[in-house]
Amino acid sequence: MSTAMNFGSKSFKPRAPDKGAFPLDHFGECKALKETFMKCLRSNNFDNSLCRLQSKHYLECRMDNQLMAKEPLTKLGFKDLMDPPPSQADTDPEP
Amino acid sequence: MLLPVLLRPSLCRPRASVFLTRCVRTLRCDAPMPPPLSRAEHFLLRRLPARLHAQSRGIKSRGRKSKSQEETWKSRNKTGLTYIAAAGVGMIGLSYAAVPLYRLYCQASGLGGTAVAGHDAEQVEMMTPVKERVLKISFNADTHASMQWNFRPQQSEIFVVPGETALAFYRAKNPTNTPIIGISTYNVVPFDAGQYFNKIQCFCFEEQRLNPHEEVDMPVFFYIDPEFAEDPRMARVDTITLSYTFFEAKEGQKLPLPGYSYN
Repeated sequence: MSTAMNFGSKSFKPRAPDKGAFPLDHFGECKALKETFMKCLRSNNFDNSLCRLQSKHYLECRMDNQLMAKEPLTKLGFKDLMDPPPSQADTDPEP
Repeated sequence: MLLPVLLRPSLCRPRASVFLTRCVRTLRCDAPMPPPLSRAEHFLLRRLPARLHAQSRGIKSRGRKSKSQEETWKSRNKTGLTYIAAAGVGMIGLSYAAVPLYRLYCQASGLGGTAVAGHDAEQVEMMTPVKERVLKISFNADTHASMQWNFRPQQSEIFVVPGETALAFYRAKNPTNTPIIGISTYNVVPFDAGQYFNKIQCFCFEEQRLNPHEEVDMPVFFYIDPEFAEDPRMARVDTITLSYTFFEAKEGQKLPLPGYSYN
Protein backbone atom coordinates (compact mmCIF):
# COMPACT_ATOMS: atom_id res chain seq x y z
CA MET A 1 0.00 0.00 0.00
CA SER A 2 2.79 2.36 0.81
CA THR A 3 4.40 1.79 -2.56
CA ALA A 4 1.37 2.83 -4.62
CA MET A 5 2.48 5.27 -7.25
CA ASN A 6 -0.75 7.20 -7.67
CA PHE A 7 -0.39 10.91 -7.50
CA GLY A 8 -2.00 12.27 -4.38
CA SER A 9 -2.64 8.91 -2.82
CA LYS A 10 -1.91 8.96 0.82
CA SER A 11 0.74 6.53 1.76
CA PHE A 12 2.41 5.78 5.00
CA LYS A 13 6.09 6.41 5.40
CA PRO A 14 7.49 4.59 8.39
CA ARG A 15 10.06 6.42 10.41
CA ALA A 16 12.83 5.02 12.53
CA PRO A 17 12.32 5.46 16.27
CA ASP A 18 14.05 8.42 17.85
CA LYS A 19 16.22 6.44 20.18
CA GLY A 20 16.48 3.23 18.22
CA ALA A 21 15.30 -0.19 19.27
CA PHE A 22 14.88 -1.69 22.71
CA PRO A 23 17.18 -4.62 23.34
CA LEU A 24 15.19 -7.71 24.08
CA ASP A 25 14.66 -8.64 27.70
CA HIS A 26 15.70 -12.25 27.34
CA PHE A 27 15.99 -12.91 31.06
CA GLY A 28 12.76 -11.27 32.09
CA GLU A 29 14.45 -8.91 34.49
CA CYS A 30 11.76 -6.32 34.22
CA LYS A 31 8.89 -8.67 33.72
CA ALA A 32 7.46 -8.11 37.19
CA LEU A 33 7.21 -4.39 36.65
CA LYS A 34 5.65 -4.98 33.33
CA GLU A 35 3.00 -7.12 34.94
CA THR A 36 2.30 -4.34 37.45
CA PHE A 37 1.89 -1.92 34.61
CA MET A 38 -0.46 -4.22 32.73
CA LYS A 39 -2.51 -4.82 35.83
CA CYS A 40 -2.80 -1.09 36.38
CA LEU A 41 -3.93 -0.62 32.78
CA ARG A 42 -6.56 -3.31 33.03
CA SER A 43 -7.98 -1.97 36.22
CA ASN A 44 -8.09 1.57 34.92
CA ASN A 45 -9.80 0.73 31.68
CA PHE A 46 -6.60 1.08 29.69
CA ASP A 47 -6.13 4.72 30.44
CA ASN A 48 -2.50 5.57 30.05
CA SER A 49 -2.57 8.78 32.06
CA LEU A 50 -3.27 6.88 35.24
CA CYS A 51 -0.50 4.35 34.83
CA ARG A 52 2.38 6.61 34.02
CA LEU A 53 4.05 5.99 37.32
CA GLN A 54 4.24 2.27 36.58
CA SER A 55 5.60 2.90 33.10
CA LYS A 56 8.22 5.16 34.64
CA HIS A 57 9.24 2.35 36.99
CA TYR A 58 9.48 -0.06 34.11
CA LEU A 59 11.75 2.22 32.14
CA GLU A 60 13.93 2.79 35.19
CA CYS A 61 14.25 -0.97 35.56
CA ARG A 62 15.31 -1.23 31.96
CA MET A 63 17.93 1.40 32.40
CA ASP A 64 19.27 -0.29 35.51
CA ASN A 65 19.62 -3.61 33.74
CA GLN A 66 21.41 -2.32 30.68
CA LEU A 67 18.34 -2.79 28.57
CA MET A 68 17.97 0.86 27.73
CA ALA A 69 20.28 3.79 27.30
CA LYS A 70 20.44 5.75 30.52
CA GLU A 71 18.79 9.07 30.22
CA PRO A 72 17.18 11.57 32.57
CA LEU A 73 13.53 10.70 32.71
CA THR A 74 12.51 14.29 32.14
CA LYS A 75 13.70 13.82 28.60
CA LEU A 76 11.25 10.99 28.21
CA GLY A 77 8.26 13.08 29.10
CA PHE A 78 8.09 12.24 32.79
CA LYS A 79 8.76 15.75 33.95
CA ASP A 80 5.57 15.91 35.97
CA LEU A 81 6.35 12.64 37.71
CA MET A 82 9.81 13.58 38.89
CA ASP A 83 8.53 15.91 41.58
CA PRO A 84 6.17 14.38 44.06
CA PRO A 85 2.96 14.31 42.10
CA PRO A 86 0.25 16.61 43.56
CA SER A 87 -2.55 14.18 42.77
CA GLN A 88 -2.34 11.73 39.96
CA ALA A 89 -5.66 10.09 40.79
CA ASP A 90 -7.62 13.25 40.02
CA THR A 91 -7.49 12.95 36.27
CA ASP A 92 -10.73 11.26 35.30
CA PRO A 93 -10.71 8.96 32.31
CA GLU A 94 -12.94 9.86 29.39
CA PRO A 95 -12.94 7.00 26.95
CA MET B 1 -29.42 46.02 -85.44
CA LEU B 2 -28.39 42.97 -83.55
CA LEU B 3 -26.99 41.21 -86.56
CA PRO B 4 -23.59 42.87 -86.66
CA VAL B 5 -23.18 42.02 -82.98
CA LEU B 6 -23.89 38.40 -83.54
CA LEU B 7 -21.78 38.06 -86.66
CA ARG B 8 -18.60 39.59 -85.38
CA PRO B 9 -17.64 38.04 -82.07
CA SER B 10 -13.81 37.94 -81.57
CA LEU B 11 -12.38 35.33 -79.22
CA CYS B 12 -9.57 37.51 -77.90
CA ARG B 13 -11.66 40.22 -76.57
CA PRO B 14 -15.20 39.10 -76.53
CA ARG B 15 -16.43 41.37 -73.83
CA ALA B 16 -14.68 44.38 -75.09
CA SER B 17 -16.06 43.84 -78.53
CA VAL B 18 -19.55 43.53 -77.21
CA PHE B 19 -19.22 46.63 -75.15
CA LEU B 20 -17.43 48.44 -77.89
CA THR B 21 -20.21 47.81 -80.31
CA ARG B 22 -22.70 48.83 -77.71
CA CYS B 23 -20.87 52.00 -76.86
CA VAL B 24 -20.49 52.79 -80.47
CA ARG B 25 -24.15 52.19 -80.84
CA THR B 26 -24.95 54.53 -78.00
CA LEU B 27 -22.66 57.17 -79.39
CA ARG B 28 -24.36 56.91 -82.70
CA CYS B 29 -27.78 56.95 -81.17
CA ASP B 30 -26.87 59.69 -78.70
CA ALA B 31 -28.37 57.81 -75.80
CA PRO B 32 -27.19 59.03 -72.32
CA MET B 33 -27.01 55.55 -70.85
CA PRO B 34 -26.27 52.31 -72.51
CA PRO B 35 -29.43 50.31 -72.67
CA PRO B 36 -29.58 47.18 -70.56
CA LEU B 37 -28.05 44.11 -72.07
CA SER B 38 -30.26 42.35 -74.52
CA ARG B 39 -30.67 38.63 -74.50
CA ALA B 40 -28.16 38.03 -77.23
CA GLU B 41 -25.55 40.08 -75.50
CA HIS B 42 -26.13 38.16 -72.29
CA PHE B 43 -25.62 34.96 -74.25
CA LEU B 44 -22.35 36.19 -75.70
CA LEU B 45 -20.98 37.34 -72.38
CA ARG B 46 -21.73 34.08 -70.78
CA ARG B 47 -20.47 31.70 -73.39
CA LEU B 48 -17.24 33.36 -74.31
CA PRO B 49 -14.46 33.09 -71.74
CA ALA B 50 -13.49 36.30 -70.13
CA ARG B 51 -10.67 34.93 -68.06
CA LEU B 52 -7.71 35.92 -70.10
CA HIS B 53 -8.72 39.52 -70.21
CA ALA B 54 -9.40 39.71 -66.50
CA GLN B 55 -6.21 37.93 -65.55
CA SER B 56 -3.85 40.04 -67.52
CA ARG B 57 -4.82 43.05 -65.48
CA GLY B 58 -3.72 41.87 -61.96
CA ILE B 59 -0.33 40.21 -62.47
CA LYS B 60 1.88 43.21 -62.25
CA SER B 61 0.49 44.63 -58.99
CA ARG B 62 0.35 41.19 -57.39
CA GLY B 63 4.06 40.74 -57.96
CA ARG B 64 4.80 43.83 -55.91
CA LYS B 65 2.45 42.79 -53.11
CA SER B 66 3.83 39.25 -52.71
CA LYS B 67 7.36 40.42 -52.05
CA SER B 68 6.46 42.58 -49.07
CA GLN B 69 4.00 39.97 -47.94
CA GLU B 70 6.71 37.34 -47.97
CA GLU B 71 8.88 39.57 -45.89
CA THR B 72 6.22 40.11 -43.29
CA TRP B 73 5.53 36.39 -43.21
CA LYS B 74 9.20 35.69 -42.73
CA SER B 75 9.57 38.08 -39.83
CA ARG B 76 6.35 36.81 -38.28
CA ASN B 77 7.57 33.24 -38.58
CA LYS B 78 10.80 34.20 -36.91
CA THR B 79 9.12 35.78 -33.90
CA GLY B 80 6.75 32.87 -33.67
CA LEU B 81 9.56 30.38 -33.71
CA THR B 82 11.46 32.32 -31.06
CA TYR B 83 8.45 32.26 -28.79
CA ILE B 84 7.96 28.56 -29.30
CA ALA B 85 11.61 27.84 -28.61
CA ALA B 86 11.48 29.92 -25.43
CA ALA B 87 8.38 28.07 -24.30
CA GLY B 88 10.11 24.76 -24.92
CA VAL B 89 13.14 25.72 -22.89
CA GLY B 90 10.84 27.04 -20.17
CA MET B 91 9.01 23.73 -19.99
CA ILE B 92 12.24 21.79 -19.61
CA GLY B 93 13.36 24.13 -16.86
CA LEU B 94 10.01 23.78 -15.10
CA SER B 95 10.24 20.01 -15.15
CA TYR B 96 13.60 20.19 -13.39
CA ALA B 97 12.37 22.73 -10.89
CA ALA B 98 9.24 20.71 -10.18
CA VAL B 99 11.04 18.17 -7.99
CA PRO B 100 12.11 20.46 -5.12
CA LEU B 101 9.02 22.60 -5.55
CA TYR B 102 6.75 19.60 -5.14
CA ARG B 103 8.63 18.49 -2.09
CA LEU B 104 8.19 21.93 -0.54
CA TYR B 105 4.52 21.90 -1.40
CA CYS B 106 4.06 18.47 0.15
CA GLN B 107 5.74 19.54 3.34
CA ALA B 108 3.65 22.67 3.55
CA SER B 109 0.36 21.01 2.86
CA GLY B 110 1.09 17.65 4.42
CA LEU B 111 -0.20 15.88 1.34
CA GLY B 112 0.57 12.21 1.12
CA GLY B 113 1.40 11.87 4.78
CA THR B 114 4.75 13.54 4.47
CA ALA B 115 6.44 14.22 7.73
CA VAL B 116 5.68 17.63 9.11
CA ALA B 117 8.99 19.44 9.22
CA GLY B 118 11.13 18.15 12.02
CA HIS B 119 10.13 16.96 15.41
CA ASP B 120 13.17 16.96 17.63
CA ALA B 121 14.03 15.12 20.77
CA GLU B 122 13.92 18.29 22.83
CA GLN B 123 10.25 18.58 22.19
CA VAL B 124 9.54 15.54 24.32
CA GLU B 125 10.86 17.31 27.33
CA MET B 126 8.94 20.49 26.73
CA MET B 127 5.59 19.28 25.56
CA THR B 128 2.51 19.49 27.71
CA PRO B 129 -0.31 17.03 27.38
CA VAL B 130 -3.53 18.19 25.79
CA LYS B 131 -5.85 16.63 28.29
CA GLU B 132 -9.10 17.39 26.49
CA ARG B 133 -8.38 15.26 23.50
CA VAL B 134 -8.45 11.58 24.37
CA LEU B 135 -7.39 9.20 21.64
CA LYS B 136 -7.73 5.49 21.44
CA ILE B 137 -4.70 3.68 20.16
CA SER B 138 -5.50 0.15 19.10
CA PHE B 139 -2.82 -2.40 18.52
CA ASN B 140 -2.48 -5.00 15.88
CA ALA B 141 0.14 -7.65 15.35
CA ASP B 142 0.89 -9.66 12.26
CA THR B 143 3.49 -12.06 11.10
CA HIS B 144 4.56 -12.99 7.66
CA ALA B 145 3.19 -16.29 6.44
CA SER B 146 6.50 -18.09 6.76
CA MET B 147 7.32 -16.57 10.13
CA GLN B 148 6.68 -19.02 12.90
CA TRP B 149 6.65 -16.73 15.88
CA ASN B 150 3.55 -16.19 17.91
CA PHE B 151 3.29 -12.45 17.97
CA ARG B 152 0.48 -10.55 19.61
CA PRO B 153 -0.20 -7.34 21.52
CA GLN B 154 -0.65 -7.50 25.26
CA GLN B 155 -3.36 -4.87 25.28
CA SER B 156 -5.87 -4.39 22.54
CA GLU B 157 -6.15 -0.64 23.03
CA ILE B 158 -4.93 2.17 25.19
CA PHE B 159 -6.24 5.67 25.77
CA VAL B 160 -3.74 8.46 25.49
CA VAL B 161 -3.75 12.21 25.02
CA PRO B 162 -1.45 14.12 22.67
CA GLY B 163 1.71 15.27 24.33
CA GLU B 164 1.90 12.42 26.78
CA THR B 165 4.36 9.57 26.47
CA ALA B 166 2.86 6.12 26.59
CA LEU B 167 4.10 2.58 26.91
CA ALA B 168 2.62 -0.49 25.27
CA PHE B 169 3.67 -4.11 25.10
CA TYR B 170 3.73 -6.85 22.55
CA ARG B 171 4.64 -10.42 23.22
CA ALA B 172 6.52 -12.72 20.93
CA LYS B 173 7.16 -16.42 21.37
CA ASN B 174 9.30 -18.76 19.35
CA PRO B 175 7.59 -22.15 19.52
CA THR B 176 10.08 -23.92 17.28
CA ASN B 177 13.27 -25.74 18.16
CA THR B 178 15.53 -23.46 16.19
CA PRO B 179 16.48 -19.85 16.88
CA ILE B 180 14.69 -17.49 14.59
CA ILE B 181 15.71 -13.95 13.82
CA GLY B 182 12.88 -11.59 13.13
CA ILE B 183 12.69 -8.05 11.93
CA SER B 184 9.62 -5.92 11.97
CA THR B 185 8.05 -2.90 10.44
CA TYR B 186 5.01 -0.95 11.41
CA ASN B 187 2.10 0.90 9.95
CA VAL B 188 -0.20 3.54 11.32
CA VAL B 189 -3.70 4.22 10.12
CA PRO B 190 -5.12 6.73 9.35
CA PHE B 191 -2.14 7.78 7.26
CA ASP B 192 -2.50 11.46 8.02
CA ALA B 193 -2.33 10.79 11.70
CA GLY B 194 0.79 8.72 11.14
CA GLN B 195 2.91 11.81 10.89
CA TYR B 196 2.01 12.76 14.44
CA PHE B 197 2.78 9.34 15.81
CA ASN B 198 6.31 9.52 17.14
CA LYS B 199 8.09 6.53 18.53
CA ILE B 200 10.77 7.20 21.05
CA GLN B 201 11.85 3.61 21.21
CA CYS B 202 10.47 0.35 19.97
CA PHE B 203 11.59 -2.94 18.55
CA CYS B 204 11.26 -2.34 14.86
CA PHE B 205 13.76 -2.25 12.04
CA GLU B 206 16.36 -4.16 13.97
CA GLU B 207 16.96 -7.85 14.05
CA GLN B 208 15.60 -9.54 17.11
CA ARG B 209 16.68 -13.03 17.88
CA LEU B 210 14.57 -15.47 19.79
CA ASN B 211 15.96 -18.73 21.06
CA PRO B 212 13.90 -21.88 20.88
CA HIS B 213 10.81 -21.76 23.11
CA GLU B 214 11.64 -18.31 24.30
CA GLU B 215 9.04 -15.69 25.03
CA VAL B 216 9.80 -12.00 25.43
CA ASP B 217 7.95 -8.77 26.04
CA MET B 218 8.51 -6.09 23.46
CA PRO B 219 7.72 -2.57 24.56
CA VAL B 220 6.85 0.39 22.41
CA PHE B 221 7.42 3.81 23.89
CA PHE B 222 5.68 6.52 21.92
CA TYR B 223 3.76 9.76 22.05
CA ILE B 224 1.36 11.68 19.88
CA ASP B 225 2.61 15.11 18.87
CA PRO B 226 0.66 17.85 20.69
CA GLU B 227 0.18 19.62 17.37
CA PHE B 228 -2.24 16.87 16.53
CA ALA B 229 -4.87 18.70 18.56
CA GLU B 230 -4.45 21.83 16.46
CA ASP B 231 -4.62 20.22 13.06
CA PRO B 232 -8.07 20.78 11.56
CA ARG B 233 -7.74 17.69 9.43
CA MET B 234 -7.40 15.57 12.52
CA ALA B 235 -10.50 16.97 14.18
CA ARG B 236 -12.51 13.83 13.51
CA VAL B 237 -9.79 11.32 14.21
CA ASP B 238 -10.37 9.49 17.46
CA THR B 239 -8.77 6.14 16.85
CA ILE B 240 -5.29 5.42 15.64
CA THR B 241 -4.25 1.90 14.88
CA LEU B 242 -0.68 0.80 15.23
CA SER B 243 0.11 -2.37 13.38
CA TYR B 244 3.37 -4.30 13.55
CA THR B 245 4.39 -7.04 11.18
CA PHE B 246 7.24 -9.43 11.79
CA PHE B 247 9.26 -11.01 9.05
CA GLU B 248 11.96 -13.56 9.20
CA ALA B 249 15.38 -12.09 8.64
CA LYS B 250 17.70 -14.03 6.40
CA GLU B 251 21.41 -14.17 7.11
CA GLY B 252 23.34 -11.36 5.53
CA GLN B 253 20.31 -9.43 4.41
CA LYS B 254 20.27 -5.78 5.31
CA LEU B 255 17.02 -3.96 5.60
CA PRO B 256 17.26 -0.31 4.57
CA LEU B 257 16.28 1.97 7.37
CA PRO B 258 13.26 4.08 6.45
CA GLY B 259 13.37 7.78 5.97
CA TYR B 260 15.97 7.75 3.27
CA SER B 261 14.50 10.51 1.17
CA TYR B 262 12.34 12.70 3.30
CA ASN B 263 13.89 12.80 6.71
